[in-house]
Amino acid sequence: MKRKAKAAVSYTIITLILAILALIILIPVIWIGICAFRPQTELMQYPPKFFAEQLTLQNFIDIAKRIKIWGYVKNSVLYCLGSTIPAVFLNSLAGYAFARLDFKGKHVLFIMVLATMMIPFQVIMVPLFLEVYKMGMYDNFAGLIIPNLGAAMTVFMTRASFAGLPKELEEAARIDGLSEFGIFWKIMLPLVKPTVVTVIVLGINGAWNDLMWPLIVTSDTSMRTLTNGLAMFVDSSLQYGTAFAGAFISICPMLVLYIFGQRYFVEGTATSGLKG
Amino acid sequence: MKQWKAFWAKPSHVAYLFVMPVVLLLLIFRLIPTVAAFVCSFFDMDMFLVGKGFVGFQNYVEAFADKRLWNSLWVTVRFTLIEVTVQMVVGLVLAALLTRNTARNKIFRAVYFLPIVCSATAVAIMWRMFLHSNVGIMTYWFERIGIKGINFLNDPKITFYVIVFMSVWRSFGISTVIFVSAMQNVPHELYESADLDGCSRPRQFFAITLPVIKDTFSFVLITRFIGSLQVFDLVFTTTKGGPNYTTESLVYYTYVKAFSNNRMGYGSAVSMFLFVIILVITIVFYSKLFKDEA
Repeated sequence: MKRKAKAAVSYTIITLILAILALIILIPVIWIGICAFRPQTELMQYPPKFFAEQLTLQNFIDIAKRIKIWGYVKNSVLYCLGSTIPAVFLNSLAGYAFARLDFKGKHVLFIMVLATMMIPFQVIMVPLFLEVYKMGMYDNFAGLIIPNLGAAMTVFMTRASFAGLPKELEEAARIDGLSEFGIFWKIMLPLVKPTVVTVIVLGINGAWNDLMWPLIVTSDTSMRTLTNGLAMFVDSSLQYGTAFAGAFISICPMLVLYIFGQRYFVEGTATSGLKG
Repeated sequence: MKQWKAFWAKPSHVAYLFVMPVVLLLLIFRLIPTVAAFVCSFFDMDMFLVGKGFVGFQNYVEAFADKRLWNSLWVTVRFTLIEVTVQMVVGLVLAALLTRNTARNKIFRAVYFLPIVCSATAVAIMWRMFLHSNVGIMTYWFERIGIKGINFLNDPKITFYVIVFMSVWRSFGISTVIFVSAMQNVPHELYESADLDGCSRPRQFFAITLPVIKDTFSFVLITRFIGSLQVFDLVFTTTKGGPNYTTESLVYYTYVKAFSNNRMGYGSAVSMFLFVIILVITIVFYSKLFKDEA
């Protein structure tokens, strides 16, 4: 009985500490939502208040006047989809070949792919920029998207999933007369759907939040993504209310993605390590 | 035409078509730039490739005498050591407390991971207002408990630690999640027999959990370490390296030199410092890992 009481006490204390930590995480995130809907004057008053006294949509109207926010959103969406969907297709195709087909030089090529995983992006950003610039891909979607299509981590992850499928699958498919691509597309790819979804979810999140590459490779305001356009706007203005409206627009889609795809975030993080 | 088709129908041939796009992309946009980064560091040029051209070791001579570079290197190393240590400890402790899949644990795990899905820009806007020197709530709360005139984002003594805090705040969920999945795979019988022996929970953590998950521990350590060495987003969106360069990281300095000052050659030379550090860590780590496994 005494032992049980002791366990209950420690359970309560631990829960309390965990809850405080959760509040430290949640309060600032929730606060973005609160501040997006309160008047600019209220944000600048002293003493400051945590909760809003008045609610308004003015910040959203203002930000649309100051910057092309919906254009930024559109660019971000295009960047996300453009750099994940084709990438997943190409990288899983390679992952499939590395996992289940035999060909000369396979080992060398795979080592080469893995080696690129160890190259930090920040080290190659200068020459990569020069290359993209010289190829005429500066300030357009080609430059934003194409250099990011090859992803060794995706090859690595899909290869592991494909390797775990039973050998009889493709033998049966070959007897049925399916082409090699047909085997990949119609039979194998659907079987590794969880991995594919994981890669897509992480890819969308990564591209949406990517600050550096769009910052380097675009300059025209009509090419800005939300994450970097908003960063530029904050630096040039002290309009915090408007900035919060932008921040709110920036985090909402990712929160929705996280709520519905939490499992994929967790699985992807556990295998890939995730940047951040 | 028919022969052509038959040729590509063979699995050992068509495989090349399957891997070629990715191999080419990685070659053009990853491997070649790596070599080019090294080559560029011996040139003086701007983004239009205009400049003095080949200058030998001049960029490196300048770099070794560049106080701002050494400062950024020191800031980055200090940041990484502190941030990674805190993240590892917090991640391990939380994972140990949240290993079991109860409803309570699932909720806490989900919450702790939340900030990492939010963009650095959005998070930075919030912190800049929260910590505002005049009307920031945190500043006000500190005033209320008697600490007046604190300027979180513009004080050479404390801003560095504020950046460390923000970074930990944003990403300790990563190490937590990874450690949880590792700890869930620790065989349960080990703990049961330890319980019978009257071994306390903290002792079990050091005697059972840590040794069993040591591979995951090294994996998280190395990835977090390399990740933190590349800190940029938070610095760019909050302090821009200030005040007085106390938060200027190596990558931020590279960015300033290459893209703001338009000195691509010198920027490449600066980024070589980061490359060497990361390369050494990676080689040491993997050679140790492979030695342990052999």
